[in-house]
Amino acid sequence: MALPLPPGLTPPEVAFLCEMELVTVIPRQRLEGLELLGGPSPPLNPPHRASLPLWLALLLKRQRRANILPPPWLTTLSLTALLDHETEHAESFSPPPRLPPAPSPTTLPFTPPFLQSSTAEAPPDALPYHWLELGEMLLEGASDDFEEPDVVRRLLRGLREVRMAKLRRGVEVLDAAGGLQMNGVGGMELSEGRAFIGGVIDGLRKINASREQARRDRDREERENGFGGTADDDYDDDEMDMR
Amino acid sequence: MSYYDVDAILTESQKVPCTFELNVPGLGYLTGDMGGDMRKGSEVELPLWLGEMLALSQSLNTSSLVSLGTPSALTPRVLNALKADPRTVDLRALAPHFYSLGARNLELYEDEEMIEVLSETFKTRATVIADQAHNPRGALGDGVDFMRGLDESERQLFRAAHDSAKAVRQWMADLKKK
Repeated sequence: MALPLPPGLTPPEVAFLCEMELVTVIPRQRLEGLELLGGPSPPLNPPHRASLPLWLALLLKRQRRANILPPPWLTTLSLTALLDHETEHAESFSPPPRLPPAPSPTTLPFTPPFLQSSTAEAPPDALPYHWLELGEMLLEGASDDFEEPDVVRRLLRGLREVRMAKLRRGVEVLDAAGGLQMNGVGGMELSEGRAFIGGVIDGLRKINASREQARRDRDREERENGFGGTADDDYDDDEMDMR
Repeated sequence: MSYYDVDAILTESQKVPCTFELNVPGLGYLTGDMGGDMRKGSEVELPLWLGEMLALSQSLNTSSLVSLGTPSALTPRVLNALKADPRTVDLRALAPHFYSLGARNLELYEDEEMIEVLSETFKTRATVIADQAHNPRGALGDGVDFMRGLDESERQLFRAAHDSAKAVRQWMADLKKK
């Protein structure tokens, strides 16, 4: 293989993207606003809170110039509720945070990292896209800012296990024509599951290739023979897209 | 399927039973009859690529040279065993490229039931493979017999699942080191 990397993002790459997420810090020293590539950072004035990108927040934390305020969903209470939800609903993942309404109909919808899903104002009842990476990094770099870091770590592990098991079990319902409901799956989970799920779908397509070919031939024959109205054609096209 | 795909080449070199429809002079050594002729109706195991070419080529007369049989890995007996419990069948012993062989066979003959059985088998075994790949004790636990019976594409699947899980674990370990 020419490219040694598998398709998709590797875990360090996902973590790198996650470092753009904004988190809330409580500065301990004054700092002028910095002109960063991603836009100017707010000036830090203790004891006022400010939102900084995660990488900068972790840097300041390491230099003991700021404390990081963990997002509301990264607390024992929220995580316990989420874990209960995950174990009760064996079929689906817990829903992602609701998107804010777009400012105007012409603007594109927000995505992370421009969604403030990890600041102190984030909703406490939903896991954002970068939940696993962010949780791990905060627990590693700023564990003394948590009330009970060990409990949070344990709950994160539990959530990860439950959700990965669901993702793996999901391939049972896969079909050459079927889909897998993956709403609410996080970035690191995707990077972990991509190779396996993609492999299963590829294998199934290989086995079903002859059926697909036969179906295409039949469709083409019908179209050439003039069978089926326009409505029928639309229907066929839809089905072929799914396959 | 690319021209240089090793797995595709190995798939094509798997043997299928072929029955000769004609007498062929001088080919008797294939059945062990040195210097003799190949009799009409005698059965020989030929590689898939050769058997397919002989079966599909229309020579001067209308009948084809050989008729292809079902490979031993795809006989009804095996399909029934797969229907009963896909997890206990040793696919590797049947054919190292079991699914590719099945797919090639399905290109030649339509068989709805075989598609169903193979897809179902692949899915059921894939979940077990995923569980094995995430097993922290590695593949040396109780699933060792199952792991030995994986066909080539299933091995690739196992490797993919194992590598991605390992990459995430590695990232977490690196995080702690910093």
